[in-house]
Amino acid sequence: MAQAKRPTTCARRLLTLGLATVLLAAPPALTQASDDTAAPLDVLSWGGTYVEAQRRALFEPFTQATGIPVRVHRYNGSLAQLRQAVNRGDVPWDVIDMRRSRARTGCADGLLQPLSAEILTPSPQGTPAKRDFIDGALSRCAITHSVFATVVAYRRDAFPGQRPTEIADLFDQQRFPGPRALQRDPAVNLEWALLSYGVPEQEIYRLLSTRRGLSLALKRLKNLEDLQWWEGGDAPVRLLAENKVVMASGYNGRFFDAMVDRDLPIEILWDGQVQEHETWVIPRGAEQAESARRFIGFATATERQTAFAQIIPYGPSRRSATRQVSNHPDSGVDMRLHIPTHPLNAKHAITKDETWYARTHDRIRDYFREALPGDSAGADNPP
Amino acid sequence: MLRFLALVLLGALTGSLAALAAVGFVSAVVWLNDLLLVSPRGRMMFAHPEALAIATVLVPTLGGLAVGQLHRAIRERRPHTPAELIAAVQTRRGRLPARAGVLSALSGLISLGSGASVGQYGPLVHMGASLGSLGARLLRLGRSDDNVAIACGVAAAIAAAFHAPLAGIVFAHEVVLRHYALRAFAPVAAAAIASHIIATQALSRGALFHVTDTAVPTPWEFVGFIVIGGLGALVAGAYMHAILAVGRRAAKLPLRPSLRPAAAGAALGLVALWVPDILGMGQETLRFATIQGAFSSLDLVIVLVLKLAATAMCIGMGFGGGVFSPALVIGTLFGALCGTLATQAGLAGDTFVFYAVCGMVAVTAPVIGAPLTTLLIVFELTGSYALTTAALASVILASPIAAQLFGRSLFDTQLARRGLDLSAGRSRALLQSARLEHLLSEDGVTLSPHDSVDQAIAALSAGGHGEAYRIDSRRRYRGSVTLADLEVMRGKGQGHFRVNECRDTPRPVLGPDASVWDAMQHPQDVSGEAIVVVDEASDTFLGVVYEASITRAYIQHSEALQREEHGTG
Repeated sequence: MAQAKRPTTCARRLLTLGLATVLLAAPPALTQASDDTAAPLDVLSWGGTYVEAQRRALFEPFTQATGIPVRVHRYNGSLAQLRQAVNRGDVPWDVIDMRRSRARTGCADGLLQPLSAEILTPSPQGTPAKRDFIDGALSRCAITHSVFATVVAYRRDAFPGQRPTEIADLFDQQRFPGPRALQRDPAVNLEWALLSYGVPEQEIYRLLSTRRGLSLALKRLKNLEDLQWWEGGDAPVRLLAENKVVMASGYNGRFFDAMVDRDLPIEILWDGQVQEHETWVIPRGAEQAESARRFIGFATATERQTAFAQIIPYGPSRRSATRQVSNHPDSGVDMRLHIPTHPLNAKHAITKDETWYARTHDRIRDYFREALPGDSAGADNPP
Repeated sequence: MLRFLALVLLGALTGSLAALAAVGFVSAVVWLNDLLLVSPRGRMMFAHPEALAIATVLVPTLGGLAVGQLHRAIRERRPHTPAELIAAVQTRRGRLPARAGVLSALSGLISLGSGASVGQYGPLVHMGASLGSLGARLLRLGRSDDNVAIACGVAAAIAAAFHAPLAGIVFAHEVVLRHYALRAFAPVAAAAIASHIIATQALSRGALFHVTDTAVPTPWEFVGFIVIGGLGALVAGAYMHAILAVGRRAAKLPLRPSLRPAAAGAALGLVALWVPDILGMGQETLRFATIQGAFSSLDLVIVLVLKLAATAMCIGMGFGGGVFSPALVIGTLFGALCGTLATQAGLAGDTFVFYAVCGMVAVTAPVIGAPLTTLLIVFELTGSYALTTAALASVILASPIAAQLFGRSLFDTQLARRGLDLSAGRSRALLQSARLEHLLSEDGVTLSPHDSVDQAIAALSAGGHGEAYRIDSRRRYRGSVTLADLEVMRGKGQGHFRVNECRDTPRPVLGPDASVWDAMQHPQDVSGEAIVVVDEASDTFLGVVYEASITRAYIQHSEALQREEHGTG
């Protein structure tokens, strides 16, 4: 989960109210009145700053606009609870925020309702939703609302006089000497290793499907000296902060947090970022399915996506929203530099091929473990 | 003028349809490859190694079986290829058969889908050309316009498949039309552009090669590229020879033609268990060959030889599909081999990809007989001027050497073996394909051997001719007599003699299937007024062809060619 830590919050509620009044036709009094009559919408989402940002950019404006209150429940992203609930015939949620990979499984297993693109609004410029959303955002049961990325971050002070500019630099320890930290998983690492040979993004998974491609990628990883493996999502920032490594992979939200809120001297290398989608889904048997569709239409509108991406560095799934993103409402940080989907950052982005991983992950992991058996992380590896 | 604009419009329409067909075809192949466990992606996502091994052998075998049955429905018992459309355009025949077009496309689809080591551009080009020809026929256009429509379909197919509209235009002119009339250029360009626009909307693909901007070959490396070109021509020659040789040997196999592709498929599958790189079009292999260190020298040699053999076997034994994509793979492997050796000798630095591309161009250009197209493909796909100039260096020797040793292209060689020689240009090919039968005249004076000399002279005078032809009671040809000889006999008082006692004047005799070109060879050594046409099997006299009509036919064909090749609209 790519989650930023809780940012300092000031005047958030005030601002939301302000935004809401500007946006809404309905006067507050009316909203208040309908609150009592409308059945609440139960939303299942992740925790932390992520859900706080959703509350501020999506849930509260939705309540303001429709009078439907939103109740937020937290989960860890797994399908197990939903599967139980559907089997029980009593589904306590109306909308779920879910990884696209899980949504695909859920959809195939009949746990989710099909979603029509009809519920989506066109962009303010009039672009139809189907063309405004990024590729792969609209699937049968899920609609991508935002995109996060696994990226490489480096210490600004590690390489005097030069900066890494492409993902191949991760493997170039002659020009960029120093220890590296990578996640102890084949995903993302193999993609980067193969990219470093100059393979175009579109062909990564086709080439990784061959023995030759796999062994080329593993060779790159094996040749890295001073490599530490991390497992917990907070480790990369810590390793960089403590100057134990000079380059590390990690989630863009964590690095944003470290750079902006903690003022650490690190920088993100966006080249080769591996993107994953967060989607909205409606579970089968949801009681307020109609309100849920209304909510998804509302929350994925260009304006709401922009508002969300300005609080937390998740890339909007709409091109029109990405273009509108500007500064953080509180800190004034230019968020364009921090969201994965911005054209400045997305030039050589890879979208993680979840179907491929769903079928191959175990075998690929075996190869990976076999080729890179040494647990070089040692004592630094977090539990 | 209006007619010309309509032709441009037809070009754009043909281009759009051909692009849609091409996109559909390519997507269907990808889908089949994933489904049938041919593509590496499909194979990797399939978790059962034993079942995978069985599928590896079974899929190409069954594909071959299906293709073999399909070919029985085609008149020639084999799929049509670009050679057919080149022949149709060069001889101004046009009118590509729709049925064979559809069946050939289907054959290509099944062959590629089931992993045969063949290319996709041949079927795509033929499909586009058939669409163009069909459009021209529906609009009742003339032969010249039919040819232009065929070229439009060809350009569109290349433009769509490679994302290279300029290469499409040049290919249509260089390989198919073989002239650069402005009249053809505008419709062909319209087709290429329309196709390009549609294809970029529908098919997104990465560049074929990736070049780091910093790498620039040293001046003396260009000498190396020229040498690679010369050696590449030999590889191209070996490739083409192998395809034709397997074809000849296959004909002698004690195996029904419809079962030959299945046998090739089974053999291919068995070898693929060991070296899966040879399955299908080999896009992944091609990509790896541009990466330094992806193959060892030994790997390169093994894969190169096996890919060459596999392709020759698949095409020679009757799978449907092109020769271009395998040539790309073989050429790139060859270039990579040169690059690896150069690196080991300390001659090459970070210019490895240049060697790979030079090898690719050196092998591919001679096979399809299109050096300019191949260069443009490199240019449009990579956008790299440095890479294109390196490729140019290797084409300098590759194309002429291959042409000297082998012929202008595989297509031309195939056509020459079927009796259409394009090596002396189009006008000769045209005359060679124009049959004498159509010029046949029955005005000639025929004599029964029992007629008297006096009767013969009277008949000749009445007909206004100087030569007569003797035929017996069963209409068999019994030689020619001239008026001069008959007069001499009458002068000697032999007017009552029978004509079969008259001296025989040898006159050229040809069969009805002989071409105008054959007929034109004769006036050079015999001065007569006509050529006798006789059915070779039964010796029956069919009539004569007057020299005047041969000359007229020659002039007509030349004028038609001039109009087609030099017209502006």
